[in-house]
Amino acid sequence: MQLTTAQHLKSEIYVPITPPPVWTPLAKPLSECTVAFCTAGGVHLKSQPRFNLSGDYSFRTIPSETPSSELMVSHGGFDNSDVNKDINSMLPIDRLHELEKEGFIGKVAPVLIGFMGGGGNVQKFKQESGPEIAEILKNEGVDIAVFTGGCGTCHRSATIVERAVESVGISTAIIAALPPIAKQQGAPRITAPHVPIGSNAGEPNNVAMQTAILKDTLTAIEEMTTFGQMKTLPYEYRHNV
Amino acid sequence: MSITNETANLHQNDPAVLCCLRNKGTIISASDLEDPTIVPDLRESGLLTIPEDALTIGQVLGATLKEDTDAMTSLTPDLLDGYSKKTEGSAEIRSSEPVNTGTSQSAGVIKFSISNVQGQIELPDGLANIGLPFTAPTVEKKPEDKIIRTLTQKEFAVQKVCMGTETSFNHGILTLRRDLCADSLKADPLVKAAEVDIIPAEDRHVYANTIMDVMPIATKVEGLLGEGVTHVMSGVVIMLTGVDEKGVQVHEFGSCEGYLDENIRFGRPGCPDPEDIIIRVNVTIQENTGMERRGPYAAHKACDAIIQEIREVLKRAPAEACTKQDVFHDWKRPGKPRVMLVKEIMGQGAMHDNVLLPAEPAGVEGGQRNVDLGNVPVVLSPNEVRDGGIHALTCIGPSTKEDTRHYFREPLVNLMAEDDEINLVGVVFIGSPQVNDEKSYVSARLGAWAEALDVEGAIVTTEGFGNNHIDFAENIDQIGRRGIDVVGVSYCAYQGQLVVGNKHMDAMIELNKDPEGFENEILGDSTLCPEDAERALLMLKTKMAGIPIEPANRQWQQEVIDANQQLIR
Repeated sequence: MQLTTAQHLKSEIYVPITPPPVWTPLAKPLSECTVAFCTAGGVHLKSQPRFNLSGDYSFRTIPSETPSSELMVSHGGFDNSDVNKDINSMLPIDRLHELEKEGFIGKVAPVLIGFMGGGGNVQKFKQESGPEIAEILKNEGVDIAVFTGGCGTCHRSATIVERAVESVGISTAIIAALPPIAKQQGAPRITAPHVPIGSNAGEPNNVAMQTAILKDTLTAIEEMTTFGQMKTLPYEYRHNV
Repeated sequence: MSITNETANLHQNDPAVLCCLRNKGTIISASDLEDPTIVPDLRESGLLTIPEDALTIGQVLGATLKEDTDAMTSLTPDLLDGYSKKTEGSAEIRSSEPVNTGTSQSAGVIKFSISNVQGQIELPDGLANIGLPFTAPTVEKKPEDKIIRTLTQKEFAVQKVCMGTETSFNHGILTLRRDLCADSLKADPLVKAAEVDIIPAEDRHVYANTIMDVMPIATKVEGLLGEGVTHVMSGVVIMLTGVDEKGVQVHEFGSCEGYLDENIRFGRPGCPDPEDIIIRVNVTIQENTGMERRGPYAAHKACDAIIQEIREVLKRAPAEACTKQDVFHDWKRPGKPRVMLVKEIMGQGAMHDNVLLPAEPAGVEGGQRNVDLGNVPVVLSPNEVRDGGIHALTCIGPSTKEDTRHYFREPLVNLMAEDDEINLVGVVFIGSPQVNDEKSYVSARLGAWAEALDVEGAIVTTEGFGNNHIDFAENIDQIGRRGIDVVGVSYCAYQGQLVVGNKHMDAMIELNKDPEGFENEILGDSTLCPEDAERALLMLKTKMAGIPIEPANRQWQQEVIDANQQLIR
C-alpha cells in the first residue's frame, strides 16, 4: 500500500509528559500527624559514608534525635555554602522538633531520610530506593513526608521517591526551588518559596523563614485536594555565590 | 548513570551536559551525561546556560575530559580532547518515499527497506531454485474501492434577501415573512424576543451581540441525512446572536459581541464567506438562563423554527434553478489502511453541547444531544457529517469554536473521505464531560471503538482549550496505547498550552492563527482550516509509514508550522 509521506515533519505542539497521579488524602489533623522529612540534598550523619558525587542511589537513615551539628552534606550539584552554614536550609530538623513542641504537628518521625539525587539513576530510584524508603516510613507509622531536592536532577529524584512514598499511603509534598521539574515529574503537592537551590527550606539561620515555609507546606498538605497542585510561598531569599 | 546508550543515540543532536562531577581523564560515555529531556527545564529555571559553542551528545561520546568538571556543565571544545567536529545525527536516516506499510496481505514475505544503495549486491547462481521461503510472485488481485452511499447536494444561489408578507424563494430572491420572528417564539417559552435582519456583504460594519452560531440553510429533498438529495442555499448564511433579558451576552469563555467586520474571520469553514449575505437572528432569552443548558438551546430552537420555514420553500425550488451540484460518496476501500477521525466536542452542559443527527441538515429537531447521550462516542459516516449531521450549540472561545457551518464543511472530513490512499471507516464524535470520572469513562469507550473498528491510524481533533485538553490527551492515549498511530490536532499555541500529556502525543498539529498565540475572540480564527487538515493527514500517513516525526520544540513557534506546510505537495 502506498502512502504519501514526508521526511522531517515536526510535531507542532509541545506536550508535557506527566506520569499518572498518585494521591493519598490526609486523614487526620496536623496536630495528630507523624511527620517525616526526606531530602535529596545529600544530607547524612558525619559518621555515615559520604555519597558518591557522580551519582548515587543509596540513602541514609537519620535518627530524628540527632543534633543538627552532627549532620553534613555531600552533594556535587549545588553550591554547598548555605547548607554548610545551616543544615536546616535543606533538612529543617530543628524546625520539626520545634513544631512538635508547639503542638503544630503530632510528632517527628523517628527516622528521617537523606539521599543524593544529583545525576540520579531514574530506574534505581523508581524500583529500589523509592520503594525501600516508602517501606521504612510506612513501618514508622508516618502520616506526612516532606521533601526537598537540590539541583535539577535532584528535584527529579526527590519527586520519584516522593511518588513512591505517596503511593504507600503517606501524604507528601515537595518544597521545590525548581517547581517546573517537580510538576513535570508528577509531584503530588508542591510548595514553592522564592529560594535558590540548596536552601529550599529557607535562608540559613533564618528561623522565622524556615518555620514559615515548613508550616505553610504542612498546611498546604491539609488543604490541597487534587494531584499536582502547586502553591507559591511568599518568602524570598537570594544568595550571591 | 544518568542516561542509557539508547537515549544518547536518540538525542545525538542535543546539547551534552555533565550529569555529575567528573574527573580529568574521564572518557565521556552516556552514563556521564544529563538526561537531555530535562535540560530545557534546567535552562528555564536559570540553572544551566548552554553556550553557543556547546557540543552535542553525538560529538562528545568517546572524548576525554581535560580537567575536573562540575555537574551541570555544558560541554564545550575547551573542556574536551578528541570530540568529533560534526555530528552524524539520526536526522540523516532516510527512507524511500512512498514507503511500504505493513498492510500487504502476503504473509511470510521478507521485506527489505532499502534507503540507500551503493555498490552492488551479488547473488549466487540458482538462487531462485533452492527453495527459500520466498513466495512466488502471484498476480495480485487489487480490491476495488466501493461506493456505499451517495449524497447529492444541489446548490441554489441566493442573490438577494428581503422581508415580505410570505416566505418565498424565486429567481434567486429569498423573501422572509415579517411575522416569522413572532411565530418563532412558540418554539420555546424561554425565548422572549427574536429579530431578523439582513446584513449584505458590502455593509459589515454592524454591531452584533455575541455570535452563538453560523448555520447553512439546507434541507432534505430525498432520503435520510447523508444520502439522497439535499438542497442548499449558497451565498447566504444564518447567524444566531443572543443576549438574556438583562442584556448579558450568551457566551461562556470569551465573547465576540461588537462589529462584525472586526469580529469574524470571514472565509473560515465555520464563518460567513466574504460575499455571503448574512441573515442575522438575534434572540433574547429569559434572564439568567444563558449559562444553563435550557437557555441557549431555546435560542437555537427558535432560530431553527425560522430556518425551517425557509427550508420548506427551498425544498420546492425548481431543478432548473440549481446553480451547482456536488456529489459526495461514502467509500469502502478494502486493502487500504483503516483510519478513523475523532472529533472531540464539548459536553459539559450549558452551551457546551451539540445536537447529533437532526432530521434536517444542520437542524435541531429530531436530533439527540451528546450530553444526553452521556458523551459516549457516536460514529457518523463522512456523508452524514457533510450533510449537516452536527448542529453545534457550543459557545467556547469564539476563535476556536467549531460551529454548525464548520461541521457542514469540515476540511478534515472532506480530505480524509476523498483520499484514496486510506480507508476512512467513520467519524467519531465524543463529548468532553464535566466530571473527571466520566472523562475516563468515555475515553475508554473511544479506545474500545478504535479496537473494534480495527483501525491502524486515527486523527483526534478538539475545539477549545483548557479543561477539554484532559479528554484530548486521554482520547489520544486510549488509541495510542493500542498500538494505533495517532495524530492530535488542537489550538494550543501560547494561551492554550497543554497542561497534561502522554507519550502518544508525539505527532501534533497546531491550529493557532493568531500572531501572538492568543484566543483573540475573532470568530473562527483558530479553527481547523484546509491547510491544517493537509498537514494532519500527511503527518498521520508519515507516522503510519514508520517515518519518525521530529519532536516538538518546547515553545510554540510559527516557523515549525510553516516548515511543515512546505512539505505538502
